[in-house]
Amino acid sequence: MKRIHGIFVGIAMVSVLAAAYTPVFAAQEQGASPVVMLAKRTARKPPVLGDTLGLSGKLGEAIAQTPTGKGKGKIDTRGEKGFAGIPGAPKINYIIAILWAVWVGWIFSTIGAFGGIMAGVGHITIFGLGDYAKSFKNTNPTLNKLLTDTIRVSNQFLVGLAAMISSINFYKQKRIILPLGIALGLGSILGAWLIPELTAGKINLKEYIGYFGLAVFVIGAFIFYETTPKGQAGKKKAKAAAEAFQKAVKEKGVESAQGVHITHFGLKHVKFTFFGTEFSFSPWLPVLGGFFIAAIASFLGIGGGFLYVPFMTSVVGLPMFLVAGTSAVTVFIGMIVSIFSYVVIKGTFVSWSFIGVELIGIFIGAMIGPRTQKYIPDIWLKRVFVVLALYVGLRYFSKGFFGVSWVPPY
Amino acid sequence: METIMLFLDRYLILLYRMTGMPLLDYTIGTFLLAMGTVVIGELSISLAFRFNRKYIDAANNELVAKNNLSMEAMQCGDDASYRACNTLANDAFGKVFFSMIALSAAALWPIFFALAWMQHRFFGIEFPLPVTVPLFGESVGFVFTYFLLYILARILFKQVKPVLPYFRNMQNMLMTYDGGGERMITIADIMAKQKSDPAASGPL
Repeated sequence: MKRIHGIFVGIAMVSVLAAAYTPVFAAQEQGASPVVMLAKRTARKPPVLGDTLGLSGKLGEAIAQTPTGKGKGKIDTRGEKGFAGIPGAPKINYIIAILWAVWVGWIFSTIGAFGGIMAGVGHITIFGLGDYAKSFKNTNPTLNKLLTDTIRVSNQFLVGLAAMISSINFYKQKRIILPLGIALGLGSILGAWLIPELTAGKINLKEYIGYFGLAVFVIGAFIFYETTPKGQAGKKKAKAAAEAFQKAVKEKGVESAQGVHITHFGLKHVKFTFFGTEFSFSPWLPVLGGFFIAAIASFLGIGGGFLYVPFMTSVVGLPMFLVAGTSAVTVFIGMIVSIFSYVVIKGTFVSWSFIGVELIGIFIGAMIGPRTQKYIPDIWLKRVFVVLALYVGLRYFSKGFFGVSWVPPY
Repeated sequence: METIMLFLDRYLILLYRMTGMPLLDYTIGTFLLAMGTVVIGELSISLAFRFNRKYIDAANNELVAKNNLSMEAMQCGDDASYRACNTLANDAFGKVFFSMIALSAAALWPIFFALAWMQHRFFGIEFPLPVTVPLFGESVGFVFTYFLLYILARILFKQVKPVLPYFRNMQNMLMTYDGGGERMITIADIMAKQKSDPAASGPL
């Protein structure tokens, strides 16, 4: 409804502007008061840059259509060159970029999935790209959306890299189950291709950060569950059972039971036993799950691994052993397809040096992480991140969907 | 960053002036650039490995121990123990996984600086394809050509690595690396064991 309303307003504005140049309107203008004339003159479209500033592709075209001058939503050609070489754009301070990436790397090595969220927070807030993209909301919506895509794809590079390494490791460990991987992969390719196809250049920053805020809530909820007595009890129970089994093995040794046996393979059900335990799933479930999770991951520029594992274990009912490796491969496939769709097909701008600097920082942070971990209890670390997730989630969610931040700074 | 790019430009462009034939020069130059990023990446990863070996060993050993325990539980048909050990193995894998990200970042960061320089130099230049390829269209840009030549450079480097002084030692170290702990048992191992001794297990 809002969009239709916007289209009507747009058509009305274009009509008024077009009419301003017709002789009929000019003749009427002659009889109008100086105040009305001044108002009409100021309502005219400001001059646009008309130059791609050496940037080719869609970004260059969008920049050429941006109004020139000082102030919000304009490009001042005399300004200092910033992000992507755009004059007046936020100038990335590479020292801050490295420090932030060290923080991201440290989180990756201590809390895991939340590192991807912090990488996104860096792109949106810390480096000022979010506010800069937002400033073009009214003056050049195309540029707003293209810069939003750049933020999305920058996040994906960091997550995709992680998934790539993980996939190689799982492959070496023979923890990838091909039929499941194919089913998940098919869905994820479709989701990862469809989202850039449908949304690249169409999602403005406000909408993006709103959904990003929602994703932070979900991840925060996962971490929170792990800190609850139930989550902790699950871990303790697993540890106790593992210790008991270890003791039994030492006393009695390993006695082989049954082997791997696929009992049924069809379009409706796949049934198999793994050393005595029967598993069954519908092959369509992983396809659908792969599709929806890859679509969410591609839309937000985050991994999705944190969604695949619970989906496979809780919804499809498969054991973790089968799921972890396969989900990493699926994340990798999804990310590759998504990055390819954004960069190659949709021509989204990528600041390679920025990603390079971030990788150096992540590398340093992940080296420091294990060295500091022993000084901070795991559960306290998780509690801190739950609070952080609540804050970040609330801020982005409220700014994205309601236009104002519910938490300081407002 | 632009200052660094301009400084590098003076030297990197020399790689692109070998024959005087534009397309050939571009191919040779990009290949050499890709090879440079492979070598720097390999150097970085070897340093990272040396620096963090103690932590990598500890994380790997924990993963292997928990994984093997879950495999043993599976062999015994003890479903509850298998699930419990597997949960712990996955937790351990999380730690290894993120230390692997650090190592991968060490190997891959030079790629992005090479691409940044290429973006500075070759942005907008398109290489026509002989036929229209679905999704790519009729031409490809510098990113595609770089990644193609990077893969070639990586394959070539893998072949020559055993004869290069520093990398030879590093490769030997990595090949004999076992984390100092037990070997990881995989499903394939269990299946192989059952094939060789079918009496000990059920049908496969």
